[in-house]
Amino acid sequence: MAQKRIVQTAAPALALALMLSACGSGNGNNGGAADSSGSSSSAPASSAAAGSSAETPAKDVTFTIGYATGDPATKKAIADTIDAFMKANPHIKIKDMSEGTTTSYLDWLKTKDAVGEFPDLVEMRDTKIFADSGKIVELPSDLVDLFSSVPEVDGKKYNAPITLNAPEGIIYSKKAYADAGITEPPKTYDEFLADQEKLKTSGITPIVVGGKDIFHMGFWLNKFLIDEVYVGDPDWNSKRTAKMTSFTDAGPVQAMTDYKELFSKYVDKGWLSTADNQTASILVSGKAAQLFSGPWMFTQIHDADPSFDFGFYALPDRQGNVNVVGLPSPAGWSLSAEAAKDADKVEAMKTFIRFFFAKEQYSKYLQTVNGIPSTKEEVQYESLPQMQDVLKLMSDPNVKKSLPINNWWGENQIPPQFRDWYYKLMQELVLKNGDVKEYMKRADAEYDAEVKANAQQ
Amino acid sequence: MAAKRKSRATHTLVFLIPALALYTLFVIAPTLSSAYLSFTSWDGVSTKIHFIGFDNFAEIWNSERVRNALKNTLILTAVLVVLENAAAIALAMLVDQVRWARNLFRSVFYFPVLLSGIVMGFVWTIILNYNFGVLNQLLDLIGLGSLKADWLGSPRFALVSIILSTVWKQAGYYMIIYLAGLQGIPQELTEAAAIDGAGRWQQFKSITFPLLAGSLTVCSVLSMISSLKIFDQIAVMTDGGPGFATETLTYIVYKVGFGELRQGFGTAMAMVLFLLILIITVIQVKLLRKREVQL
Repeated sequence: MAQKRIVQTAAPALALALMLSACGSGNGNNGGAADSSGSSSSAPASSAAAGSSAETPAKDVTFTIGYATGDPATKKAIADTIDAFMKANPHIKIKDMSEGTTTSYLDWLKTKDAVGEFPDLVEMRDTKIFADSGKIVELPSDLVDLFSSVPEVDGKKYNAPITLNAPEGIIYSKKAYADAGITEPPKTYDEFLADQEKLKTSGITPIVVGGKDIFHMGFWLNKFLIDEVYVGDPDWNSKRTAKMTSFTDAGPVQAMTDYKELFSKYVDKGWLSTADNQTASILVSGKAAQLFSGPWMFTQIHDADPSFDFGFYALPDRQGNVNVVGLPSPAGWSLSAEAAKDADKVEAMKTFIRFFFAKEQYSKYLQTVNGIPSTKEEVQYESLPQMQDVLKLMSDPNVKKSLPINNWWGENQIPPQFRDWYYKLMQELVLKNGDVKEYMKRADAEYDAEVKANAQQ
Repeated sequence: MAAKRKSRATHTLVFLIPALALYTLFVIAPTLSSAYLSFTSWDGVSTKIHFIGFDNFAEIWNSERVRNALKNTLILTAVLVVLENAAAIALAMLVDQVRWARNLFRSVFYFPVLLSGIVMGFVWTIILNYNFGVLNQLLDLIGLGSLKADWLGSPRFALVSIILSTVWKQAGYYMIIYLAGLQGIPQELTEAAAIDGAGRWQQFKSITFPLLAGSLTVCSVLSMISSLKIFDQIAVMTDGGPGFATETLTYIVYKVGFGELRQGFGTAMAMVLFLLILIITVIQVKLLRKREVQL
């Protein structure tokens, strides 16, 4: 499959468009307010200066780093960047603490903290939790200027955003679609369901799901929640916390009814023992026709079989509207409070962050993960053609941008322990063929209990 | 005389102090600290710790998730204690009676014990995977494709898969203890029984098994404690899933304490688990000791 050069001059404009969407989408301090604060103009970082050893401390320095390793492409891209950095800066040693784990990233990070091994430089996803507990410090102001926008938590900027949030969609086998007589992507969700019937009839499993990794459940669950809940009300989470909304409301019930129907009829039988990193193999081997995931999977799929012909589209809702994950959220590299006490370490970590986001290096990272750049500086990279569809989605003003249930922040932040519990509950809903409304009552009860428990802390 | 006794006591104390200090540091202090934390709402990250009385214990009492985990733990424990001991006795008798390659058999059966729970979990996860697993591919190969199942992704089979893989790993350990017990049984007893016309089953039922009472007490207490604390296999093979189908008490202690940032609540559950193990162990030891005396 021929690769195409994508000139991502649209990145700053894209970021601006995202800011506008976020501002218009709600007033719950869920991203809109944070975006505007990061829009002050400043000179783009010089990639030459960023990577040069002239700025690096002369002393030998070692710092530890930790990041999520669930996606093999991302893991490789970060590991390659670390290697390149240490080669370019031999006096700075980075000890990579990241490891393959069966638990979620938050579990791993919390365990590392408990045993006194919290990484000096850490990929932060649950920023508020660790900021409130004083484990991370604000991002140095000279680094903030590297980015088109840095979302805030309680008015402070903690993260160097690794990429902008990318949309998820259907990654499909063109051959399977052709064999089933599907000639074009569906325009509504009902058309999509009709296509699933065609695929099933053609003898292929319609959808592969990596349900063994709990985060993978979020791709589908949030697709339905975004369509039925968050697009209509971006402040739904804060209202739920205040008990003004309920999981038993029409929106969430419809969302989970759709999810249950889809999973009961069209998903691979082994979905609960399939890991996220096995989904690409199942897709390219022809055992399944589709996968719902993001552009970070493109390289993995391409590497698994370079001749595999696949396409990508965002899954529309019943009215034909397209709603995707795409708002910014406070996540990215953060400096630990402990490491911030050591000036040499801070300088070394700043050097690494500048190196990571330097044009030449960052483009390699983005190419591996098919990421959307977060820097002010224009970044170009060779990308697979499917990435064009992703970029079109992100720049299309008719496509509504939203966030998964657990990525909202400020007033809209859910209890951090709720996500995994809820995803597991939804697995059980399908397995036990449960009553959606009854399960949503359980979700309400658990949510309220967690809000109460967290209020005691 | 008194001076000699005092000197002896001093010496005893001096020899005890290093071990006592280490034991206090690594066992007693954390236990006391846990007891305190179980009455707090500490999230495990922040520096502030709030005392909330018995709220955590009240929540444990009312929690459906904890009840489900307790049910799973008790099922796992009951089945594992029976199966592990039955398999261990069978293996011990086999290696005790085998005439050739005796050491080879002992090594083969003992080998899984040497694997860590994590490694064993990964191996079984690969074997039992629905799409790529050896078991399902084997079933396909021999024309039994209709029996294929999602062994770790189905609530029906996930707990069974964990039980069988744990028996596979642990039986060799208890086999060694039973083997020692078997070798302590005087040969004359079974020979006399054979002369009197007792069959193999009768010999086992009336001579061998009763005389293994001591080994049975040790093995069943050990297997009961390790089953109540089962963690590695769950974490690696199912992550407590599908849904909440294989969550056990130890697993949610970790999950809630670390993953869900509720160290206080997790610690309260650990205290409950501690009491549960203590009570069951005391009852079990008393019953088995009584049986030993009767025999």
